[in-house]
Amino acid sequence: NTQAQELQPAPTGKKYTVGDISVTGDTHFSAQTIVTYSGLRKGEEIIIPGDKISEAIRKLWKSNLFRDINIYLLKTEDNAAFLEIRLFDLPQLKTLEIEGIKKSKKKDIISENNLQEGVKVTENLITTTKNYLTNKYQKDGFYNTKVIITTTEVQDSINRAAVNMSLSIDKGKKVKVSEINFNGNEAIADSKLRKAMKNTKQKSFIRILKRSKYIKADYKEDLESVIDKFKENGYRDARVISDSITHIDNKNIAIDITVEEGELYYFGDISFIGNTIYNDEQLKRILRINKGDIYNGVLLEKRIADHTKPDAVDITNLYQNNGYLFSTINPVETNTVGNVIDMEIRISEGKPVYFNSVSVVGNDVTNDRVIYRELHTRPGQLYSKANVMRTIRELSQLGYFDAEQMATNFNNPNPNEGTIDLEYGVVETGSSQVELQGGYGGGGFIGTLGLSFNNFSLKNIFNTDAYKPVPRGDGQKLALRLQASRFYQTYSFSFTEPWMGGKKPVQFSTSISHSAQFLYEPRTGNADRDKRFNITGVTVGLAKRLTVPDDYFTLSQAVSFQHYNLKNYNTGLFTFGDGYSNNLAYTIGLTRNNTFNDPVFPTGGSNFSVSAKLSLPYSLVNGVDYDQLIVERDQWLEVQADPNNSQIIRNQAAKQVGNIDQERYKWLEFYKINMKGDWYINLVDKLVVKSSVEFGFLGAYNQARGVIPFERFFMGGDGLGSYSLDGREAIALRGYPNQSLQPVDDQNFTTNDGGTIYNKFSMELRYPISMSQSAKIFVLGFVEGGVSYNDFKDYNPFNLYRSSGVGVRIFMPAFGLLGIDFGYGFDSLPGETKANGWEPHFIIGQQF
Amino acid sequence: CSEYQKALKSVDTATKYNVGEKLYNAGKYAKANKLFEQILPAYRGKPQAEKVSYLNAKSYYEEKDWYLASHKFERFMDAYPNSEKLEEAAFLSAKSAYMLSPVFSKEQHETKHAIEKLQLFINLFPESEFLQEANGLVKELDLKLETKAFSIAKQFNTIAGFTRDFHAPMKAMDNFIIDFPGTVYREEALYIKFDSAFQLAVNSVYHKKEERLKDAKLYYNNFKKSSSNPIFIEKADKMNEVIDEELENYSTKS
Repeated sequence: NTQAQELQPAPTGKKYTVGDISVTGDTHFSAQTIVTYSGLRKGEEIIIPGDKISEAIRKLWKSNLFRDINIYLLKTEDNAAFLEIRLFDLPQLKTLEIEGIKKSKKKDIISENNLQEGVKVTENLITTTKNYLTNKYQKDGFYNTKVIITTTEVQDSINRAAVNMSLSIDKGKKVKVSEINFNGNEAIADSKLRKAMKNTKQKSFIRILKRSKYIKADYKEDLESVIDKFKENGYRDARVISDSITHIDNKNIAIDITVEEGELYYFGDISFIGNTIYNDEQLKRILRINKGDIYNGVLLEKRIADHTKPDAVDITNLYQNNGYLFSTINPVETNTVGNVIDMEIRISEGKPVYFNSVSVVGNDVTNDRVIYRELHTRPGQLYSKANVMRTIRELSQLGYFDAEQMATNFNNPNPNEGTIDLEYGVVETGSSQVELQGGYGGGGFIGTLGLSFNNFSLKNIFNTDAYKPVPRGDGQKLALRLQASRFYQTYSFSFTEPWMGGKKPVQFSTSISHSAQFLYEPRTGNADRDKRFNITGVTVGLAKRLTVPDDYFTLSQAVSFQHYNLKNYNTGLFTFGDGYSNNLAYTIGLTRNNTFNDPVFPTGGSNFSVSAKLSLPYSLVNGVDYDQLIVERDQWLEVQADPNNSQIIRNQAAKQVGNIDQERYKWLEFYKINMKGDWYINLVDKLVVKSSVEFGFLGAYNQARGVIPFERFFMGGDGLGSYSLDGREAIALRGYPNQSLQPVDDQNFTTNDGGTIYNKFSMELRYPISMSQSAKIFVLGFVEGGVSYNDFKDYNPFNLYRSSGVGVRIFMPAFGLLGIDFGYGFDSLPGETKANGWEPHFIIGQQF
Repeated sequence: CSEYQKALKSVDTATKYNVGEKLYNAGKYAKANKLFEQILPAYRGKPQAEKVSYLNAKSYYEEKDWYLASHKFERFMDAYPNSEKLEEAAFLSAKSAYMLSPVFSKEQHETKHAIEKLQLFINLFPESEFLQEANGLVKELDLKLETKAFSIAKQFNTIAGFTRDFHAPMKAMDNFIIDFPGTVYREEALYIKFDSAFQLAVNSVYHKKEERLKDAKLYYNNFKKSSSNPIFIEKADKMNEVIDEELENYSTKS
């Protein structure tokens, strides 16, 4: 019953010794067990009434095994109290019948509501299950969902209390909103008001992404949006007078909303009060609202504090980004004459606030120094919301932490002293990737083993305790990759330390790779190990984050050496079958990357890079007369091509050409320029457009020595350069086969040496399907075009091979980025006449 | 079939218990514990449960499964507050928590938790035979927290050349000294404060320089008072000479 308790003076208890404790009621537990569990002991002294008894009842309730728990004092005898614990077992769930839904969903319902066999059936369980299911289906648009739960008692074989439960779910038909009608609106059209309702939509054939459905909570929110719409347009007093839902049939409902517009208002004088740091002019520049404008409460609110955009340009952020954490800004209507509203914006600035302590918690794997060096908020600094957000952004970009679970906690705010403590909460996430592949291709089995650790700790490599399962936490990258098939083997190792020396973000990286390729032996169909081509390379690089012009810039430098060694390797690629070539080059690059937030799916910012790769100008100093050499080479070529000469002479001539080429390519002499830019713009909702431009040029210092046959650009396909023979760069262009877009020479013959100049334009629309930590999925549609040439004088950047298509990307922390694209090539391949058509591309890693 | 295998499949709790105890005494804790885990539910609420719970927790401890050991000992303490093993359980639970504490440069909630548990043990059993060890462990963990705070503050100084933020190491060191007044790093902390102030001063624009040089001078004096490490002193003295030279410029001009 609901009667209020009468107030009585708390009775003082009397001390007893516990005599016997009996257990009655209906339970399958032994009396001894229940008594022990209650915490009451025979022979102990207790006070009745007192907290010992209530504690015992509480304990028994907490076990969640009983109902109707009571403790009675049976009798007292010589200061001994005889107690009785009376309780009943909660019935266990024996069988569960679910009606009205598909079999496959039953399992989910059981696990979501915890309805396993043996669970104790309480009223609470029944009510929560009912509410949960009703809500669940109503959220999917089944507005008329009815859930009926009945329980029937059964006798268990061992006399335990048990019930059978039957769950009857009647989802009914999916309910759609067939019409939304507005009454009383004159200034704003029905269609605009319907559009303002973001969740509840009128039924329509063309609306595919957002189907019509009715969810009460969302509908209430929408009503506010409707009123906001009026407020945005000067109707400050607008309100919903009534709204009703009519059932048309069991599939359709109609919503009628009656509004009262009220009058149209205008802004009058807007004055600022309390501002000392910024003058009225500065604040007005941010407010951008003038006397005489149509009154717009929503806009005013936004210019003062835009809660939808944390980095918006508003007055609150002006103060928040400059240390005034405790500032408050309140617009107040001071005077209303007719339809003109005078505003006063009252500002309480408070003291500028400085960070006292700044800390990071939750880094179970990553060492402090790796995190603290990335902070843009340090002790003693002026509070700035923008810096806090930037820190969050950059910490998530490290890839060690779950970007969705980054937290900032402000502790110990002290408005008098002007200090605050800031704590960043991080949650570690897996940052290692393993790639293990096997497949058929290139005439046999290809096996790949790739390991990449993105938060490695080289220091702990000999510390066995640190292997969990690999030493982690120093923010270093270590990657190993082995790939082998019958015809080639590649081994590569790379290591990166982002802050060499710990003082500055100077990234040190080194990589070693070796690959061997074997020629095909036509007799056996096997690889011929005597005819091989080996490439061994070492690269050491330094990259430095710059602070000027702004600190998104990175300057990188690298020295690389590659040794090419051929033995009996006679292919069209080289005129010499036995020989070698060395490639010693210096690369310098400048990049600017301010994309945010998620590196897998940036929603804004741009990524720009320019680089130059240079060899030493050997021909200036080595005294070889390349002009003479090229004349000689042309003579030998003529001899070789002349059908009148005997085979012996022609072979000898070919050998001479080979010797000359060996001389020309002993040390590769070249320079190469690359430029690339990506821009990301968040269009509407979550839709992001990415546009990019690329350009590359390979040239020679000494024209007589010529442009080298290495290091060239091969355009087309997915851009995966797994079979990179000669420092070539695979340039992705979807809609065409891999490396198929070769330049055409003077006689309109397709070459297959790759281009020395190329450019590419691309535009991509991306939409995220899921951004959860376990799997990030987005779909995309693209148009792009690119072209490559062999000579600058033929170069026409707009004579593009064009394509467009669609694709999907999935990022899972353990696998990296995977995806598939279907591209349609509008132009014909070199040497062909009809459009290339559809082309599928499988994507591993981030190419596009 | 070994005795253990038989016991594992047996339905008799007494057999399981006897074999389990035998294995435990022989140091085969993993096997023993499998049996204990099996019989624990059956003994719940019965007098034998106390011993089995203890052996169960102790086996985890011997197995170096610190997390479970700490937890099981804690549950033992809750269930049997009158047990004669209470003191040992309290200590081993706290010590297991101590074992879970990671290297100083990572998240330290385990360390703080262990300190709390050890402190609670010390308060509850001030006469304990484990008291000395417990005090040693607390000291070690305190030093860990101290080292963490110090390293973070020190890093602000290390990267100050890049961040151009010389205030951060000074502020962080101030906080550090307030939080750990009796720190073993005091001397180095004062040195780093002076170093940061010095760097700030010499990198300043003209009109701010004099004041900052004077500030640095104060920090130098502060450092000098409590220093004994010749390496720091030598470096600090050199910086001080620079300050004096620079200050002379100001005094001669005015």
